[in-house]
Amino acid sequence: MTAVDFLLWVRGPGLTIASIIFVLGMTLKFFEIFMLGRKKNLAELRGSGVKEGFKTIVTRSGHVDTYSTRHTKFTHIAGWVFHIGMFIAIFLLAPHIEIFKTFLGFGWPALPTPIVDLATVISMITLLAILFHRITNPVLKYLSVGQDYVVWALTFLPLLTGYMAYHHLFFRYEWVLGVHILSVCLLLVFFPFTKLTHAFTLFISRWYNGMMAGEKGVQQ
Amino acid sequence: MSEATLERGLKALKEQIDTPIALFFSSCTHCGMCATACLFYTETENPAYTPINKVEPMRRLWEQEYTLIGRIKKAIGMSKPITDEELEEWQEYCYNACSLCGRCTMVCPVGNDITYMIRKMREGMAAAGHAPEGLIGASKRAVKIGSPMGVKLPALQAQARHAEKDLGMEIPFDVEGAEYMMLMSSMEIMNYPEYMEAVAKIFRQAGKTWTISSEAFEATNSGIQIGSSDIARELVSRVVTAAEKLKVKTVISPECGHAYTAIRWEGPNLIGRKFPFHVKHILEVLDEFRAEGLLKTEGFEEARMTFHDPCQLVRRGGVVEQPRNLLNMVSKDFVEMKDHGIMNWCCGAGGGVSANEDAAELKMQAFKRKKSQLDELNVDTLVTACANCRIQIEEGLEENEMDIPVVGLTEMLAEHLVEDNKTEG
Amino acid sequence: MTEITNETQFKQGLQQLSLADQRAVGARFVEHVISLADDERISFAIRVAKNKDAAEDELAAAFKSAKAAALDCYTRCGADADWSEQAGYFVARAASAIVAPEKDISGDGPAWTAAMNSRMARTCSIIDANTDAESQETGQQYRILEDLLNS
Repeated sequence: MTAVDFLLWVRGPGLTIASIIFVLGMTLKFFEIFMLGRKKNLAELRGSGVKEGFKTIVTRSGHVDTYSTRHTKFTHIAGWVFHIGMFIAIFLLAPHIEIFKTFLGFGWPALPTPIVDLATVISMITLLAILFHRITNPVLKYLSVGQDYVVWALTFLPLLTGYMAYHHLFFRYEWVLGVHILSVCLLLVFFPFTKLTHAFTLFISRWYNGMMAGEKGVQQ
Repeated sequence: MSEATLERGLKALKEQIDTPIALFFSSCTHCGMCATACLFYTETENPAYTPINKVEPMRRLWEQEYTLIGRIKKAIGMSKPITDEELEEWQEYCYNACSLCGRCTMVCPVGNDITYMIRKMREGMAAAGHAPEGLIGASKRAVKIGSPMGVKLPALQAQARHAEKDLGMEIPFDVEGAEYMMLMSSMEIMNYPEYMEAVAKIFRQAGKTWTISSEAFEATNSGIQIGSSDIARELVSRVVTAAEKLKVKTVISPECGHAYTAIRWEGPNLIGRKFPFHVKHILEVLDEFRAEGLLKTEGFEEARMTFHDPCQLVRRGGVVEQPRNLLNMVSKDFVEMKDHGIMNWCCGAGGGVSANEDAAELKMQAFKRKKSQLDELNVDTLVTACANCRIQIEEGLEENEMDIPVVGLTEMLAEHLVEDNKTEG
Repeated sequence: MTEITNETQFKQGLQQLSLADQRAVGARFVEHVISLADDERISFAIRVAKNKDAAEDELAAAFKSAKAAALDCYTRCGADADWSEQAGYFVARAASAIVAPEKDISGDGPAWTAAMNSRMARTCSIIDANTDAESQETGQQYRILEDLLNS
């Protein structure tokens, strides 16, 4: 198989298969979650909690606890920086928008490439720092399981290979681009079956958290 | 309780898993932020006390039972089964090192209600026979005698007679049609008899009818602490039966945090139907009296004071403003701790920790958080509204050689009541 | 000749006393129930309370140790009630009332607080004995106060 054959395969059938697994997997995931159901709360409520639920989706992006904020500064800042950088790299790079356009039928304005490039670099550096933090911080070291590292690698690889492809580093461009797309395929395939699902479920979790507190009249 | 086995435990735990639990496990990225919200972690720096770790066996059970990948892994023998040894280890994490205070729930960036998870985890632990001895004893006494501390009716009646002499008024027992039915906690009956007197004085002034049921006077509920819905249901239904029999409009939960959670929030869900009466915490009732102008006080405390928020009342119960409104009636120098209200730090003894002898040392270590909060503040008096917080704080202050009197809010208010019969005699 | 027959008279009688006298009469209330508690710290508080020349720091030390005695024998939330221990708890509380430094004195004064806690202690011992006996503590306290007022 030549580099071009490889690139054509991952960009065509490879990406399509990965996308189908992603969509079906996420559908299954949500089915698994919601089929469990939740008992109706029979206590005399102070409010429906619906409003607090939506409020918490937003407010939980920050912190209400001064002590925790002070002691988890790194996690906070690194978390924000890497997520924003990754968002820029995925959704605001012109070639990526072209791909979304073929899937969705519409596009949106891109950021200038050097800015996306910078965001990618910052994201990668932050991810490396996050990894270092994970293996050195006693709590994170204790909590971490194999999947945490797999998920880290699945997130890091597309950024690295994308950066390499853009700068034509080390290997033949077609190979690197092919590997980049392959890494994205891997991310998509693993997504529904790992904690990467938090990207979707966290909003619903926050909603439940705020809603259950709101029912009791606790404002967050 | 019927015989506890691993099998029963896993079955009970499996039944606890619902949509929020699945969402929470799907959302956790092991970021570790919940650790810094937990006083058992901050004061010991034991990573095993990280809140989300306290439910790790439940996470695996969820994965193995309720996800496709988990089931495949289980079928081909690639998943680690939950064992008795493991649950025995986790007993320390989810009972000794957790007061169900709810702080982790407030900081988790993905929004996991970890307290809700641990409460459910305990259902499995209790059914598997991995609950602490102290809590098992308390639960057995609660079911058999009606009180986790073995307080029987004659003891309550003796306390009531004492209060009657002291106040020159009758303590009403079993009065049908009274507006309020007062519950007590064993802690108050045994250690703080002033509470009953204070309530009697305030209700006399407010001119409201109230009663104590001789059949169900105990408010505390060991069932929700140990994690046994069966026990919790039995204890709640005694109160419901008594309240329905006496046809009261409102049942009052005493100055005890978890008693409030048990009867106010879990109660109707445990018995599976709505209550035909309201449930209010004593401070809610007193604040209503205040708003209606029925609570008349005179004079102010000279001491500089602060309020310790009982977790189940405030963060997990939504009674936040009421204690502050009441305190301001009798204090001109009321200061808040840095983290207060819904972000207050637990005293270290809630959620069954105080009834658990295995946790005796740990709860004093956890108290150091409260100590740091108080050190920053320089107050003369600490006010709270939970007999359990109160005794833990008193003990902690004593151990740390800090000289700060601890008083119950209801009693403090009662001391400032304008007494109408003052000129008598 | 003063005679005390009810709580109002009792309370007024106590409140008209000087602080030192309140401590002293409170000490006698505690003495009356001291058999229910086996603790040197309580006897110490009684001695200090009876001494009208006791210095502030002596009072503070006695207060501190009496409070510690109370914390040593209270019943933990959820623990099985031991009413004889509990009687000791109230004796210790009564003892701490009579030596409380001025800033720590609660509303009704040291003698009144000591009287109430001593009665609670007696009540606990009756619960412990599981009898129907009526507590005679109140009447005894009236006699103690009468003695003092009439002497």
